[in-house]
Amino acid sequence: MTDKQFQKAAKFIENNCSADDFSLFMYRSDETATRYAQNMITQNMTGVKYGVRLNVAYGTQTGSARINSLDECELKKMVETAQNIAKLNKPDPEFVPSTSKAKIPKTDNLSENTVKFSMKEMVDVIKKTVDNAEKKKAFVSGIVTKRVTDSYLKNKNGFEGFDSSSEFENSMTMADNKTREAKVERSVKDVNDYSIKKEIDQLNSRFDALTEPKKIEAGQYNVILRPQAVINFFSFLLYFFDRKNADYGVSAFHNSIGKNMFGKNFSLISSLDEKDLTASAFSGDGLAARNIDWIKNGVVKELFTNRSYAHKIKAEPNFIPNVIIRGGNATEEEMMKKVKNGLIINNFWYIRTVSMRKNEVTGLTRDGIYYFENGKIKHSVNNLRFNEVLHDAAKNILLLGKEDNIAAGTKVPTMLIKDFTFADTTSF
Amino acid sequence: MDHLSTALNHAQSMGAEYADIRIQKTTRETIFLMDLSLKNTSRNVEHGYGIRVMKNGAWGFAHSNIFSNDEVKKTVEKAVKVAELSAKIKKGKGLTLAHERGYIDSYSTKIQIDPFKVPLSEKVDLMLEVNKTLLNYSKIKRAFFMLDMLNDDKYFASTLGSVIHSNTYYINPMISATAVNDKDSQTRSFDEGGYGAGWEHVLKMNLVQKAVQIAEEAIIKLEADEPGEIRRRDLILDPNHLGLTMHESVGHPTELDRVLKWEADYAGVSFATPEKLKKYRYGSEIVNFVGDNTLSFGLATAGYDDDGVPGQKWYIIKDGILNEYGTTRDTAPFIGENMSRGCNRATYYYDFPINRIPNLYLEPGKKLLSPQELIADTEDGIYIEGRGSFSIDQHRVNFQFGGDMFWEIKNGKKVRPLKDVLYKSCNPEFWNSCDAICDARYWKDFGVTNCGKGQPPQTARMTHGAATARFKKIRVGGSK
Repeated sequence: MTDKQFQKAAKFIENNCSADDFSLFMYRSDETATRYAQNMITQNMTGVKYGVRLNVAYGTQTGSARINSLDECELKKMVETAQNIAKLNKPDPEFVPSTSKAKIPKTDNLSENTVKFSMKEMVDVIKKTVDNAEKKKAFVSGIVTKRVTDSYLKNKNGFEGFDSSSEFENSMTMADNKTREAKVERSVKDVNDYSIKKEIDQLNSRFDALTEPKKIEAGQYNVILRPQAVINFFSFLLYFFDRKNADYGVSAFHNSIGKNMFGKNFSLISSLDEKDLTASAFSGDGLAARNIDWIKNGVVKELFTNRSYAHKIKAEPNFIPNVIIRGGNATEEEMMKKVKNGLIINNFWYIRTVSMRKNEVTGLTRDGIYYFENGKIKHSVNNLRFNEVLHDAAKNILLLGKEDNIAAGTKVPTMLIKDFTFADTTSF
Repeated sequence: MDHLSTALNHAQSMGAEYADIRIQKTTRETIFLMDLSLKNTSRNVEHGYGIRVMKNGAWGFAHSNIFSNDEVKKTVEKAVKVAELSAKIKKGKGLTLAHERGYIDSYSTKIQIDPFKVPLSEKVDLMLEVNKTLLNYSKIKRAFFMLDMLNDDKYFASTLGSVIHSNTYYINPMISATAVNDKDSQTRSFDEGGYGAGWEHVLKMNLVQKAVQIAEEAIIKLEADEPGEIRRRDLILDPNHLGLTMHESVGHPTELDRVLKWEADYAGVSFATPEKLKKYRYGSEIVNFVGDNTLSFGLATAGYDDDGVPGQKWYIIKDGILNEYGTTRDTAPFIGENMSRGCNRATYYYDFPINRIPNLYLEPGKKLLSPQELIADTEDGIYIEGRGSFSIDQHRVNFQFGGDMFWEIKNGKKVRPLKDVLYKSCNPEFWNSCDAICDARYWKDFGVTNCGKGQPPQTARMTHGAATARFKKIRVGGSK
């Protein structure tokens, strides 16, 4: 899909739209996904998806419609549907007009190598994964996905943006018939940056380090959180990050801007300057991306502020183009030596909010948990449930490892955190 | 209808052992009111078809939204190519399918008032009245109302000779109120999780009255005490709460694809492995769970599943013993079953159907018993209403669940409200601790419309049901 094809559809919509204001978003996503489980392929699917969403307004009365086709008859019906909804709707007291023309930053989100990567090559990746598992008398399950997406946004007041992005992802879990279960997953913009050998080596390393788990009880432990655990845990901040909820006292971020809430070792940013990371160039409601320090050295700098609330409080609106948690230079070996003992956590699972006002979440360890002592991994332990406050954990960061691009738009480090709270043990 | 036969004939001519085509049009209307601001009023349509072929013992699937015979043929060719590639990595002769026959049939949800034809102003007026009612309380700082309506119009045809038309609906109003003071914020919700019905269902709900209740209870929670240290107490759980509890701790563990470890990489596996069938004590003798895709108004009731298997009713847990799984045509043969229980469902036309929880419910108790009598019979316990924080491990054994409203019970009476209550338990401890279930007069069904599973992720819907039940000596208290 090219921007010209999107522009042609946009022109048709514009010619048929009588609303005072409109905002049009279109995308085309070409996706192939191959699932495997227990050393065989169980699902394999391919196809192109389209999405066309039109928001319109008459005065402050709004309406929206979405279809999955660029057919002009369907587009016309979509325009009529959105307009009819708006005409019949009640006024929105928080309505803001669509954004005006803006300079959209250049992003480099597309790799031709990924575009050209064939379905056969995807199956070859799985073959290597399965061959490795069979050699280890283990079973591997996962998914290989290739996705190429074009997106386009245009509105009545002059904002227009086009972006293309690519993503290749492989997620694999290897388990035996007893208790060992390890996982690695990674997504990249350019498939040439993905090394199946490196990923299998990491999977084997994690798998081989697992032993029959010894029972440990709930309590506070020093933990080394590997990148997947870090992002799964701290990404919950983004759910709590809403400026209006903060100002209204709903969340823990009430009166937090400018305060050191997270400790000096924690910085969460969005950046368009990281060449190896994708970034959304613009948001679905017509904001151009910009670099944002959300939390810098523990101090809350900016919270997610949508356009209507930003207008009300006279702040600059924003969105989250990508996620980077700043790292350091410590190795896992140095982390293990820094404290007497602790746990290495590969991943967390089923994280849910316990209290938004307290910034507290719960979840479980998964995909391998190891006990270390005197600088060395000793053995595996059973999985544990944590109930932990996000900013308390951040304040307790002792060391940070190098940032790792675990996903096309996400980069986070390994972390050593003291006194992480596990509220319950589990039976395996 | 041409496209159906074009797809199947072309797939067979290319050597497919089995093929099906699902033409699906999903229409969804969503109205989202945050405080008094209409954040989104939209009608969304996803229309296209997915073609699934089995060749050389492996699946291939391709989808398109272009309706022409040429495009249908191209889509079949893609699906066949995908199946041929998939067959390079298989075990033995690959996948086989449980026996089934063809059906020519149709099914429609019984709706009285089509929610898509109700004037927008009627819906928005109701929603504004509800949120104004909530915000009239000075301590309520945020009011949320989402009205979600969906229609799935689907044609399914397979090389077994099936041609099935289904036209299903659901409607789901979700309301919440957040109360705030200097020290805390607490939210109370009205969320019955969706119902296979039309607008008439909303009219019966008296949502303005519900708004008064949830606003007042959010404020009560704000001032309530926390439950203190974790210790063993009796739990009395209302049907809405039990809906999600059974979903997580019974529904998912008894999906056969999890048992076979097909979901090991993401959604997880199951402790309820095949050697436990017919002998594992999952719950106490009064615990009977039924899978029922024929349930009236059920969200998984569609006549047939996406394998073309008719809706059925069966015991998943009988007298406390693990009895059967929810199965699909491609999973059932792995445990020696020659028929599927009809649990294969996809979300949109472009999704590959996967093993899903059926409508699943706990049968009511056989002795006459009301929730009031159950509370009167409890010395030291907590009564939990509604759904809160839910988290369970990837083997579906150990869990921590919260709720939406909590009352302390002492010597047979609800003595005070509590907040931030969590209980921790596991399988099989939890369902074996069930010592009383209220009778059929108090049985009620609740929906789930956002059950996430699969890679790429899909959301499915199903209905659960229960009467209020008691669980003895469960660990319950505050968060840490």
